[in-house]
Amino acid sequence: MNGPEFLYATEAPVAEIEDLRVVMPEGARGGAGEAPGARALVDGVSLRLYAGRITALVGASGSGKTTTAAALLGEYPAGAHVTGTVRVPEGPVGYVPQHPAAALNPARRVDALLRDIARARVRDLPRRDRRTAVTERVLRACAEAQLTDAETLLRRYPHQLSGGQQQRVVLAQALLTGARVVIADEPTTGQDALTKRRIVDQLAAVARQGIAVLLLSHDLDVVHALADDLHIMCAGRILEAGPPRHVRTAPRHPWTRALLAPEPASYARADPPETTEPTDTAAENAPAPLLRIRSLTAHHHRTPVLRLPDLSLRPGECLAVVGRSGSGKTTLGRCVAGLHRAYDGEIRLDGETLPRSLRARSRAQLAAVQYVFQDARDAFDEHRPVLDQVARTAVRLRAVPTADALAEAADTLAALGLPVALVRRNPPQLSGGELQRAALARALLAHPRVLVCDEITSGLDTLTRRSLLTHLTGLLRTRPELSLVLITHDRDTAALADRTAVLDNGRLAEHGPTARLLEAPAHPTTAALLRPPESWVAEAPA
Amino acid sequence: MTGSGTGGGAGQAARGGDLRAWLVRRLLLGAGQTVAVVLLVFALTEALPGDAAVALAGDQPDPARIAAIREALHLDRPAHERLVAWAAGLLHGDLGTSLTSGRPVATYLANGVGPTVLLAALTVTLLVPLSVGLGVLAARHEGRFVDRLVSSVTLAVYAVPEFALGVLLVTVFALRLGWLPPTAVGFGDDLLAHPAALVLPVLVLLSRPVCSLVRLVRAGMIDALASPYAAQARRYGIAGARVRYAHALPNALAPAAQQLARTIDWLLCGVIVVEALFVIPGLGTVLINAVAERDVPVIQGLAVVFGLTAVVLNLGADLVARRFAPRAGVAA
Amino acid sequence: MRFPVRARPGRFLLGLLLVAGPLLIALLGPLVAGEPGPRAASFTLGGGHGAGADFVGRDVWRQVLLGGRTVVLTALSATALAYAVALPLGLTGALTHRRWLEDLLMRPLDVLLAIPSLLLILLVAAVFSPGTVGLALLVALVNIPDAARIVRATAAEAAARPAVEALRMQGESWWRMAVGYVGRSALRTLAADAGTRLTGVLYLVATAAFLGVGVAPDAADWAVMVDRNRTGLFVQPWAVVLPAVLIVALTMGGNLLLDAALTSRGRRPTPLRPLPRPRKEHPA
Repeated sequence: MNGPEFLYATEAPVAEIEDLRVVMPEGARGGAGEAPGARALVDGVSLRLYAGRITALVGASGSGKTTTAAALLGEYPAGAHVTGTVRVPEGPVGYVPQHPAAALNPARRVDALLRDIARARVRDLPRRDRRTAVTERVLRACAEAQLTDAETLLRRYPHQLSGGQQQRVVLAQALLTGARVVIADEPTTGQDALTKRRIVDQLAAVARQGIAVLLLSHDLDVVHALADDLHIMCAGRILEAGPPRHVRTAPRHPWTRALLAPEPASYARADPPETTEPTDTAAENAPAPLLRIRSLTAHHHRTPVLRLPDLSLRPGECLAVVGRSGSGKTTLGRCVAGLHRAYDGEIRLDGETLPRSLRARSRAQLAAVQYVFQDARDAFDEHRPVLDQVARTAVRLRAVPTADALAEAADTLAALGLPVALVRRNPPQLSGGELQRAALARALLAHPRVLVCDEITSGLDTLTRRSLLTHLTGLLRTRPELSLVLITHDRDTAALADRTAVLDNGRLAEHGPTARLLEAPAHPTTAALLRPPESWVAEAPA
Repeated sequence: MTGSGTGGGAGQAARGGDLRAWLVRRLLLGAGQTVAVVLLVFALTEALPGDAAVALAGDQPDPARIAAIREALHLDRPAHERLVAWAAGLLHGDLGTSLTSGRPVATYLANGVGPTVLLAALTVTLLVPLSVGLGVLAARHEGRFVDRLVSSVTLAVYAVPEFALGVLLVTVFALRLGWLPPTAVGFGDDLLAHPAALVLPVLVLLSRPVCSLVRLVRAGMIDALASPYAAQARRYGIAGARVRYAHALPNALAPAAQQLARTIDWLLCGVIVVEALFVIPGLGTVLINAVAERDVPVIQGLAVVFGLTAVVLNLGADLVARRFAPRAGVAA
Repeated sequence: MRFPVRARPGRFLLGLLLVAGPLLIALLGPLVAGEPGPRAASFTLGGGHGAGADFVGRDVWRQVLLGGRTVVLTALSATALAYAVALPLGLTGALTHRRWLEDLLMRPLDVLLAIPSLLLILLVAAVFSPGTVGLALLVALVNIPDAARIVRATAAEAAARPAVEALRMQGESWWRMAVGYVGRSALRTLAADAGTRLTGVLYLVATAAFLGVGVAPDAADWAVMVDRNRTGLFVQPWAVVLPAVLIVALTMGGNLLLDAALTSRGRRPTPLRPLPRPRKEHPA
């Protein structure tokens, strides 16, 4: 893919976008002219895709990258006013959407979904040969999309497949059309490092077949690992374009500079607690553990999903719980917070057993252990102002009078970079990153001793995630007494923590100081999850 | 934590188990409903105020008649014994004897079942193709005249009581135009030989279920055609008709199949009304007459038959819905 | 992207026109009906009576003026009653974490759901001979299982959101969660359901009356008029057609009005639609 045989000047692009403008007229739908209040979703974008090369389009959500890609499919938002040229090869353009499940018909078996597409390509064969030709093409596409055990999977319905398998089926569909251009829309968003690496391999394999790939992403690790050409998009325009190395080493635009800036050396707090060089299990050390989990077995519908012999958290400590999706890490956080009641064993706070259910916990116990949800938008009531909702924590859990609670909430929110004017609005008017910070403030108003943060950075784009991590770092500095549990699959987030526990398939795979786990992981899962993303480039087969 | 789907054979087995567990739960619910129907029907006669025999004797409370009723209903025996005896009779097809005529209830059923089954069968046969056809037609022309016409008419008609609609149709087609007979009076039991007499009853019986199903099929079709998977199929060059009928339609039918259960309720109600309106000697007419005469054994027998039919058809509709929407957990 | 769906002014207006007549007659008719005049012969046309006489020789027009009130009021109170029971039942079922309580509340309703509503009404009517109030109670009763199920499903969906867990984390009271958040989130769905339920109840009330449940055989009631005057359809159609038209207009108009009101308030996101490509060339 990075091979020198593909050169810009000599090779003709497979697909091309020339000066594309997509403008939504203000108010009225389908108006012909550009009304005064018109809004350009895409504003003069030009893009070339070459055979066998991966072109990355990077930008925050709302930057216009999806609209640009949709133009290659010949699709535009209803009522949009479109100018410019879009040149694509004959035949369909492959499209791998962010949520593959939505693109697979729930009422049809995988076999039928693939055959339908294959059938359209064998019309010129004699009738009796078509059937075998279709079967052969389907199986070949499955192999090319790295869909193992195709014979079994073909008989299933899409909902019976895992997310990864669904994505590969969608990819197989694209390959079956004989598409020379494939668009991959945010293929790695919200995935853990292992899954990401597998997707990187897949896309690299697609490009090796001589297909032009357009990768839409805000995941810089993946872009760095894959892209031959990099386009940075912001507010409907391409700010910067070129080979990734160029863009990376000499970014011209300040926004690009901010986006591509290396992660701050360490988010970790300046003076870590005395236990930076600890013995492996915390049992015998000086400060008594604040939170202690003993012989915990958590169930989902009677199936055990998490077994944890012993895990403790000291006052002021930051513990990262790392694992792939489905490893049981969220269940652990929810057990601690009292949101998941089906477990055996005990969870002790200050030596006192915490009731399993929130309903049975006293106000003081509720306040002591707080939880920040993965999706902040779902965790707020959309009908009430954010400020009021945040302040309720202090009113209910600490019996603070409403006026004082509102003032404290406003201060806490302001410290997290959310001005009062903003938080007086209702949640739908705030961005995902802003709501996540508000959710953090809501939990902090309880003056918790243990704060469980569940994947609070996943699903946010690079800049938003970085700002949230900066705030978390600040939090660790300003509130030394606060113990933090960071549930994550993100290396940068885990790097904040003093200690890291790695979960694999419901069991504790490894546990120790974060620095040691980062440098010398003992368990393969740890290695895979915490390995620096730079190593992907080398690993993606050339 | 939402466990990302398991890919392996274990997952498949678990899902097979899910289906079996669902089936068991659904069958248990059906059994519960059956028992409930039987108990309810029995309990209602128990709930008769005062002396049941006196209450039932109604207009002619002479002692001989009261004694006859007491004898026929075995009112001298304790309630639980009567329940056991009655339920045991049900199992053998013995539904008791009528209070008014002294004939076995089973003969009432045998006489009435023909016209009712004919009406219901005709209606259901026409119902499905008509609803799917109209629904797809409207969805294909979404927002245009055909769609607006179909949508408005189905919306307007589907809440109209059958008797009011039926009476107006009779006024127009039988009275003013003279095209069709106003009732089935004079055609005896052999309605099939007089198809003209069946046109209006079937039309009226169809009115509500068709309207509700057309609306569901139309909405489901529009959603399915606008879905990402339909867009993907079109993108990849699959012919329009195939996208419509092979890809979108099965998804559009899922909510309609679930509504079928509700439709059964309507059909059973509708049959009673339509038979009363068009004087068709079916089970509905028998039931209405028995209610008017407070002929308890006949009411009980008919209620059990109607109730169990509803339970069985509901069960069937749920199975069909489950087939069309393998993902959705149909209530059980 | 979200665009407001075009409201349906045509449907709204048509619905309003259809519903206004019967509703006005039903509510104000009894006030202007006046005293009963002398009886004419059965099923006579004209003769001092604008719309003729009915099966016992009463003035049809006066009967029409009197006969809407029971239908409309019974339907309204039955709907309200059904919800008065279904709301607490469904909300408790959705919000309790005690599985047995939910089963205790909801399972019996599942069992009742299978019995056709008209059958249940007829059965009870055969035993108790209910009056208008009894009919309202009965119709409410047969609507409770379905209404409670919808309340429970809607509330359970809202109660399963992380927002409720967040409220629990904050130590909020049950009332604030149940009414302040879950109730409010479920409000729109329930309003829509209440509307459709009202038309369904109207249907049941009228049909039951037509079959003679809950009404005196000579009651001034549109549905009873249709039933009793049917025998004279060929001599005196007005006694049947007038009340039938009023019932049809009331139910049709109600449904059209309701649909227009609900769709103009509801918004649906517009999906990305294919448009002709602006200029598309194929490379040679």
